[in-house]
This record gives sequence, C-alpha cells and structure tokens, in this order.
Amino acid sequence: MQKKLVSVLALSVAMSAFLAACGNNENNNTASPSASESSSPSPSPSASESAPASESASPEKVENFTVSLRHIQIGDAQKFRKAILDDVVKKTEAEVPGLKIELDPVEDSVNRFTKLPAEMAAGNPPKIFSVFGGAGDTQKYAKAGRMLDLTPIIDELGLKDKFLNVLEPFSVDGKVYGLPIGGNTEGIFYNTELFAKYNLNPPTTWDDLIKAADTLKQNNITPFAVGSKGAWVPNMLVNTLIGRIAGEGANAGFITGDTKWNSPDVVAAYQLFADWEKAGYFTKGELGKEYADMLNDFVAGKAGMMFDGSWRSSAFKNDAIGAAVAGKVAFVNLPAVPNGKGDQTSVNANYGEGYGFSADLNENEKKAVKAFIKNMYSDEMQLRGLLEDGVLPSMKLTDASQVTDPIVKQVLDVLNGAGASFPHFDSIVTSKVYTETETQLQKLIAGKATPQEVGDAIQKVQDAENAAAAK
Amino acid sequence: MRTTLKNPYVYFIFVVPTIALYFLFFIYPMLTSVYYGFTNWNGLDTKDYIGFDNFANAFKDEDFRNSILNNLYILLFSCCVQVPLIVVFSLLISGVKRFQGFYKTTVFMPSILSTSVIGILWGYIYDPDVGLINNILKTFGMDPIYFLADTKWALVSILITNAWQWMGFYIVLILAAILAIPRDIDEAAMIDGATGVQRAWYLTVPLIKPIINVVIMLSIAGALRVVDIVLVMTDGGPAGATDVMASYMVNKAIKFGDYGYGTALSIIIFIFALILTALYQILIVRRQEKVEY
Repeated sequence: MQKKLVSVLALSVAMSAFLAACGNNENNNTASPSASESSSPSPSPSASESAPASESASPEKVENFTVSLRHIQIGDAQKFRKAILDDVVKKTEAEVPGLKIELDPVEDSVNRFTKLPAEMAAGNPPKIFSVFGGAGDTQKYAKAGRMLDLTPIIDELGLKDKFLNVLEPFSVDGKVYGLPIGGNTEGIFYNTELFAKYNLNPPTTWDDLIKAADTLKQNNITPFAVGSKGAWVPNMLVNTLIGRIAGEGANAGFITGDTKWNSPDVVAAYQLFADWEKAGYFTKGELGKEYADMLNDFVAGKAGMMFDGSWRSSAFKNDAIGAAVAGKVAFVNLPAVPNGKGDQTSVNANYGEGYGFSADLNENEKKAVKAFIKNMYSDEMQLRGLLEDGVLPSMKLTDASQVTDPIVKQVLDVLNGAGASFPHFDSIVTSKVYTETETQLQKLIAGKATPQEVGDAIQKVQDAENAAAAK
Repeated sequence: MRTTLKNPYVYFIFVVPTIALYFLFFIYPMLTSVYYGFTNWNGLDTKDYIGFDNFANAFKDEDFRNSILNNLYILLFSCCVQVPLIVVFSLLISGVKRFQGFYKTTVFMPSILSTSVIGILWGYIYDPDVGLINNILKTFGMDPIYFLADTKWALVSILITNAWQWMGFYIVLILAAILAIPRDIDEAAMIDGATGVQRAWYLTVPLIKPIINVVIMLSIAGALRVVDIVLVMTDGGPAGATDVMASYMVNKAIKFGDYGYGTALSIIIFIFALILTALYQILIVRRQEKVEY
C-alpha cells in the first residue's frame, strides 16, 4: 500500500515536471530538427506535417514556421479580392523558406468590432491581420504597443513615396503601423433597367433623385435597399449627408470640437435621413436585415437604388453574385443637396481598410511580413485590385488606362470630377463615439429618438472623449 | 497505509492540487474582475481606479435600465405564462394512455438543440419574405409582420422562441414528479367521484409543488442569464428593444472595448441574480412543508 502511495506521488511529480516542460517549450527555439516540430511559434498540424518533407528536400537546415493571417475576404461578393490575396500568399510562401501562412477568414464586422479588439486586449492578435485606419482601430492599437512599426520596412522596400497621401489614419507620431490596401468612395448604385422602365432620369440632381424615389415607391419598389441590422450600413449615407449639408470639412472637425454633432447642420443631415425614413424610401424591416440582404434585394430588382461603397462594383460582373443585373447598374455620387454648405461636388473617399502586423514577431516572422508587404503592395496587385475588383489603388499607379469595367470607370469619373474629398467619420472619431452613432442611428430608424436627441446624445459622448484626450 | 491515512496532512496533500486549480481558475479571475469593475480599463491601456463611477453610470444609463426591464419581462413571462403552461402540458401528457413516450420525446426535443440552431431556425420562421408565419398571414391577405425588426414585436418573438426551447425540459421534470405519485391516491379520489380537473387541481398540483418550485427557481435563474438566444436572433436590436442585461454587457465590454464598465455591469447582474434567487428561496421555498404521500 505504502509503495502505491509513493508511486502515485512520484507520478504526480513527474506529471508536473512534464507540464512545466511544455510551458517552457516556447523559449527553446529549434535546437534540433525533432524539436522544431513541437516548438514552432504557432504550432499547427500543417506545420508539423510539412516539417519532415521540406527537411528532406533541401540539404540546408530550414526552420519551418507558420504565420497566421486574418483576412475578411469571405463570401461570394469578395471572391476577386480573395484570389489576389491567395496569389500574394502563394508568392510569399515561395520566397521565404519554411514559411507556411495560415489563413484565418473572419467576417468583416465580427473581426473589426469583436474578435480583433478582444485579441488586442489579450495581447495575442494574429501575426498579419486586416485592420482599419483611424482613432478607433490602428491608432488605438498602435498607441498600446500592439502593432509593428512598419516605417523601417517601407523605407527599406522603397515604398514610402509610392503611396498616395493615405497613410495618415494608419500613423501615430509619424510612424506607420498599417498599410491601406485600397480606397473606396460611397455613392448611389442604381438599376438602369428599372429607371428606364419608369422613365426616370439618372439621380444626378436632387430633384431627379427625389422624383425617382417617389416614383419607385408608388410602384411598390423600394427606393433604397438597406440592411440596418449592422448600423454601419445606414451610417454610410449619414456620413455623406453630413458632408453635403454641413460641408466637406465637417467630419474632420468632430475630434477638434469645430463641428458639433448637435449643431443645426449635422442635425439637419439626421433630419433628412429621418424624413426619408418616414417617406418609406428604405427597405421595410431594415433593422432586421443584414448587409448581404441589401445587395440581394437590389440584385433581385426589389429596390431601385442602394447607397453603398464602390467596393460593391465587382458584385455586378457576369460571373459574380449580382450577375442578374450585370450591365444594368450605374454608379453616381450623391447629388448636390439644396442649401448644402461647402463644395457640393465633394466625395467621400476612404482609404480605411488595410493590413497591420503584430508587434510580437520573431526574426523569421519579420522576414515573412516583409515579403508579404513586398508582394501585396506592388504595382501588379494594385492594378489587379482595380481591374478585377474595382478597388481604388492606394498607391500611385503608372498606368490605370486599362480599366474597362463600366462601373469602375464611373467610380473613377466621380472621383476625378470631385472638387474635394472628405473621410468617413468612422476613421476619425474614437470607437466609443462611433458606436454611439450606430446606437443612436438605429434609434432614429426605429422612431425612438428625434434627430436633435440623436445629435445631443452623440455629442455628449464626443465631449467626454475629447476631454479625456486633452488630459 | 493505515498509519499514513491517519495523518491529516496526507488528506491535505490530496486536496491541494484541486484547491490550487480552483483558485487559479475561479477565485483569482473573480477577484480581478471585481477590481476591473472599479477601473476605466479599455482592454489596452493602463487601468485607472475610478471608484464607483462605473456603477453610478450603469444606473444612469437609460439603455442599461431598459435592458434590466427586458430581463424582468422575460422573468415575468416565464413565471406567469410559461410555468402554468408547463404544468398544464405535463398534466395532459401524464393523462395520455397511448404514445406517452412519443409525446415526452417530442416536447423534449428542442432542449437538445443548440441555441444557435434554434435562433436561426426561428429567424426563418419569422422572416418577413419567406417565413412560415408571414406566408400564412399572406394567404389571409394580411400585411407581413416584421417580427424581429419591429421594436413592438421583437421581444415577444424572442420570448416565444425561448419558451419553445425550454418548456420541454421542464415538462419532463414535472412529468417525472407526476408519474412518481402513487396511483392509489388518484384511484381513491376517482372512487370518491372527483372529476379529472378536480383531481389534477386538488391532488396532483399540491403533490408536485416542490418540483414546481424548483422549476420556478430555474426559470428565474434562466430568465436572468438569458443571452445566447438574443445574440443569435437580434443581437439586442432593433435599437436596443431586445437588449437584456447580459447582451448589453457583452456588447459594451467586447464590442465597444469598455472592459471596466462591462465588468461593472457583470457584477451588477451577479448581485441582481443573487438577490432574486435568495428572495425566492427565503420567501417561498422555506415556508413549504415537505410533501409526504
């Protein structure tokens, strides 16, 4: 009996020693080939499988490692962008010996508002991840020391002067922490077939827009498809309305205090939105509809227009999700609003979405990141993004004359014809203020708050955030 | 061995690993989260102690008060509508002679499905365009009802779904109690000429009171911690109409990155649930005598 007790104790000691060894494993970096299988920085089944194979292939000792890559290119509507990403990944893997990039696809808003913030809080973000610029995203994470300073890398790769003037939302104190993949503008997509059917002019002037909306409404067609379950979708229109009515500089003024959310101009923008809501211009039951439903309604011809980002243009190709309306869709800027302030040809232009990198990288992973940046931010991929996916380049392109897609051409025309541009406020205000705009907008849609109450509530949060920033 | 086991320290050694793990995974996280509740931690930056600000803000926060109300609606619905229905259904099923097993299995079925499955399933049933209910309404020439998008309907829709999911579980509990009542009591009443309704109300219900109490208590606890069905079906929307305390807390802490405030909310929820269940225990359950057949 006593022997048994001793052996149990011995076993438990052995177990704890074993567990402790497991914990230390991370620090033992690949001393021997056999160790490399268990101690790669982010262990994965695929890494250990590929380990012996490549070892036998090359006489040099190659360390196998994996790098996690979080991307948001999921679903049919994103397939062109996913193809570009796949090619970049393949190229990068070929260039860096032993590298295996592990893709981790997550839906856009889940990644942006739920998963990445939680990972950032825990300090274990993926090594490469999709991230947005601005105070609520990149700048917040960079200030907390979670993101890799890319300044030396883009200097080394000679990319610094190749980017358009778009790195500001990704920079803190002159250091660059993320790189935008491309840009977009938000405007009106309309169904030319439906417009022709009801003898409507393209919605290029305010009167034509209102007439189109009213006529469609009378014919039981939703004027504007929208899916407001995620309030960022209707927020696109609100953002541009604020830019039109309060002037193109208004959005940037929220954090400086120059613009107030409850100022008459901004409230007027919310009022206009509420009026449209009352007039029944938007999809019925929009608060229960997802972003994808909005495209579906538009493609099915249930709605004549939708206010969406130019990234949607690739959905209307013959082999894409919106093939049913391919060739029957056009894109225009939101027309000049009567009595609006500022330049009424101004457009909303965002270079918000891009890639960022974890600050916690070892030498090998840094090599992989460098190769990824080199391959992703190249002339070739930027041009492919524009031609295949309708994403506006974030870098200076030597030749953009090959664009044949009619909608992409219209998007480029809108941008070229713009007198000024303004960013989306989601890349300017902090995340607390931005989420308040979402909460309040849904209340406005549900008829639970007036435009003035919406403005007051958001300004209250903005004041608190501005005061905290001034500290 | 005999001498070893007489030594109290031996027992202590056996218990130490468990206690250590318990401290590591329960006590320590609980204490730290209580501490976070008093800070303005946003998950990234430094944590500053801000006293009771979070708690004061929580009760000033109209949206949080609204979510407390929603929890209370759910609580009232489950105690005043769901529990009587559960008892009625149990009595009916217990009286069925044939296919009793079939009924038992059928009502129990929803409880073994995952909440996500149920949420998505009912999302389709409620769908304004292709949903079952709205298609039936359409055949009668009625306008579709936007169950999950209309602030007036959303909470009711979730309550119905939640009831559908959990009623079967409680029915099986109560059914077991009913079937455990000795048959001779029932037969004696029958010989005395009591009708079925009389027997159910004056005999069966009093005899299963203890288990009804358990069901009510589980319902209260369930109503206070309900969150998954809300997150799956509406995520608290439309415009906060279905936000419950827990979903509001999850959104504040995780989505909005306000960990300090979110933790404070979770402490409030904890205290709330503790008080309600304690009250129920003290006021109702303790007063009951034990049932003897």
